[in-house]
Amino acid sequence: MDVLLFGIIAERAGTHRLQVEASSTAELKRQLGARIDGMETLSYALAVDRVIVNDDVPLSGSEEIAVLPPFAGG
Amino acid sequence: MSEPRTHSVKDIFVDGPIDPAFVGTSIAKHATRMDIGAHEIFLGQVRADAVAGADDHPPAATVAAIEYTAYRDMALERMTAIREEAFAKWPSMTCLHVHHSLGTIKAGELCFMVFTSAPHRMAAREAVAWVVDRIKAELPIFGKEILSNATHLWKRNS
Repeated sequence: MDVLLFGIIAERAGTHRLQVEASSTAELKRQLGARIDGMETLSYALAVDRVIVNDDVPLSGSEEIAVLPPFAGG
Repeated sequence: MSEPRTHSVKDIFVDGPIDPAFVGTSIAKHATRMDIGAHEIFLGQVRADAVAGADDHPPAATVAAIEYTAYRDMALERMTAIREEAFAKWPSMTCLHVHHSLGTIKAGELCFMVFTSAPHRMAAREAVAWVVDRIKAELPIFGKEILSNATHLWKRNS
């Protein structure tokens, strides 16, 4: 699945889009940790279909996934 | 100008800074609305914060500009929900206009505008403060602070 990256996370990853295979958000987080340098030191939220999810939820692969660093609007 | 209450998804994002003249034009557009008795406008301006150097040494640099990006689709969905909640909380509110900059906004330039109008001042005043807080907390907007020494930091709302 395509994972959208923003802000400091996109900067660390060197890309705004990452191809990841994961069947749950917990697994996705593990993969992000393995693939993005210093990911464990960054705070972020995961959005599934444009809604932030805090619990571990299953992923079918058709969702729109985004990794969101702290917001800075205004 | 009347604000349609259809709650369709509106694009709040503008490329570059908000022109102060645009604020004036926005006010003028409401002159035909005879039911409005109060406007409240919040304007966010990029602040040239001093950034401390390493080990608490004197400031190494100041913020010269903020480069804003956003997760557009989610931000507009959140904004639509916030707008609906605002009209439910303050049913007398006549209109609500929101604009947020994307791209590079220099210190001293405007990057954010929330404009409420109502028959009386309390609804306009309460709603504008509430909407500003909700946007800052909930819209996925990201800010790269470009410093005067050509390095950068990532802004985060407290």
